[in-house]
Amino acid sequence: MVQITDMRFSYGESGFRLEIPSLEIEVAEKVSMIGPSGSGKTTLLNLIAGISVPEKGQIRIGDDEITVLSDQDRRNFRISNIGLVFQEFELLEYLSVFDNIVLPYRINPTLSLTSSVRERAEHLADQVGIRDKLARYPDRLSQGERQRVAVCRAVLTEPTLVLADEPTGNLDPANKMRVLDILLDYIDSKGATLVTVTHDHEILERFDRVIDFMDFHSVPDVNSQGDDRE
Amino acid sequence: MIQTLYLAWQYLSFHRLKTAILVTSITLITYLPTGLRVLVQQSSDQLTARAESTPLIVGAKGSPLELVLNTLYFRSEYPEPMKFSEVKRIRETGLASAIPMYIRFHSRGTPIVGTSFDYFGFRSLKVAKGRPLATLGECVLGSRVAASLGLEPGDHLISSPESVFDLAGVYPLKMRVVGTLTFSNTADDDAIFVDLKTAWVIEGLGHGHQDMAKPEAAGGVLKVEGNKVVANASVVQYSEITEDNIDSFHFHGDLSEYPITAVVAVPPAAKSSALLQGRFESADLMIQIVRPTGVMNDLLDTILTVQQFVVAGAIIVGAATLSSVILVFMLSLRLRRREIETMFKIGGSRLTVGLLMASEIIGVLVIGVVLAGGLTLITRAFGAVVIRAVLRM
Repeated sequence: MVQITDMRFSYGESGFRLEIPSLEIEVAEKVSMIGPSGSGKTTLLNLIAGISVPEKGQIRIGDDEITVLSDQDRRNFRISNIGLVFQEFELLEYLSVFDNIVLPYRINPTLSLTSSVRERAEHLADQVGIRDKLARYPDRLSQGERQRVAVCRAVLTEPTLVLADEPTGNLDPANKMRVLDILLDYIDSKGATLVTVTHDHEILERFDRVIDFMDFHSVPDVNSQGDDRE
Repeated sequence: MIQTLYLAWQYLSFHRLKTAILVTSITLITYLPTGLRVLVQQSSDQLTARAESTPLIVGAKGSPLELVLNTLYFRSEYPEPMKFSEVKRIRETGLASAIPMYIRFHSRGTPIVGTSFDYFGFRSLKVAKGRPLATLGECVLGSRVAASLGLEPGDHLISSPESVFDLAGVYPLKMRVVGTLTFSNTADDDAIFVDLKTAWVIEGLGHGHQDMAKPEAAGGVLKVEGNKVVANASVVQYSEITEDNIDSFHFHGDLSEYPITAVVAVPPAAKSSALLQGRFESADLMIQIVRPTGVMNDLLDTILTVQQFVVAGAIIVGAATLSSVILVFMLSLRLRRREIETMFKIGGSRLTVGLLMASEIIGVLVIGVVLAGGLTLITRAFGAVVIRAVLRM
């Protein structure tokens, strides 16, 4: 699903540099990336999502090489094929829960907000237990409810790849497990791929493979690292 | 685009207080100069319309503006009076018809206009209810006066004394309402019209009392010297002119010496007008003849100068407000940076997100300008009514 070859990325004058000779994530695989802050986990998610562009190398998502796409094409690709979940939820305060969930359909003309999409949004909200809160605004929700809204927004387009940046980082234990269940249920039911960045070692056992970013820097072939852990 | 507008509207309505402040600012910035311009234009039209329909005004020397405002709009302090003989003098020139005006007294805050029957024809005033003036002591009411005081033909109206302490001067006269005028949308709607002689009765120049030669008035006779009867203080002086006592009303002295405040001179042609002006301007230092349009244009020049100052002030205030609005927009964009990043990360189109940010500004501007336009239209529609109410024109 995700194929990275001979990739290099750096942040200008800060000295940060990320090099990945080879990384492959299979379709329907659930991968978790761990490592200390500043090791490049979120940067890698941004590179896979096409938010950032590497200095060299290739990143392929399925059959598409996103590194050669234009900025607008990467945005169009991302909104149709990749679901993003953030640690801080990143809900828009001025939109209701429903409008937050369908936001991708309002910010890129590639997607069209049809009645079936609306029904799907309501169905998703029902599945995650926030159906009765669709008219509320985010500031009237609990942390767990907000992250459930964010997950609904991420999977509404039925993406084949979900990238989650510490999705449980701000949640209490009960909500942590519930949000994770929701994400993993979606991945399992749709045969999608999940790549998660986390600091929470309690949830690692729920993933097929764990990539330790510290090792990743010293070990060129991260595939073998992941395999070793398995 | 609809989706972008939807999101913009959600943003604006969620931050309704901020939006209301910004919209109010834009509305005021836009409306102040345009609304003021409309009001000044309408004031100008109102002022000049009546002035243009009044060719010349003759009055005692003094403030031309006071003379014109008093004669046309029945406003301002009454000007220095002049003799009624001026009417005859104008008529004798053969250059203009002359309508005497005596605008000094009030009843219940409304000006009483003493004039001749010619005035109604000159202003094309028609009687809506009742009949025109016929005898002493009668009055007809302008339409707004009739409506506001709730008076109809057959009712009565008492003139007000000029001063509470004016015991020996103006007598309160109970006038009989005999008619009301049709709505003319001019100052005539706000006036009480009486015959010139009735105005003189109000002033005390004419009066009626018991016939001292009759036996029933014997108690009031102080002494009799030949044909001359001297009455004591108990003699009854009438405060209302009725069919029974109208014959007792009389004026002492020469009527040509009686006061009026102005004469509306209506020359048949421009040449007559010029000749009449020439005669008065050169012949008489005590009398002035003015063209109301000229006087009102001078007043308008002053108003326009004031307007320019107000507009200049509004522009300065507007510029300061606009700077604040721009600052608020810039701060708003900074506050929304994270939201913009989120939309970019999710895959929001650069154009759509840009339009969304711009639409907040455009939305506020459009709503503000539309509201200002609406207010300007309202001003255009009702400004004249308000101006007339304020100026009682």
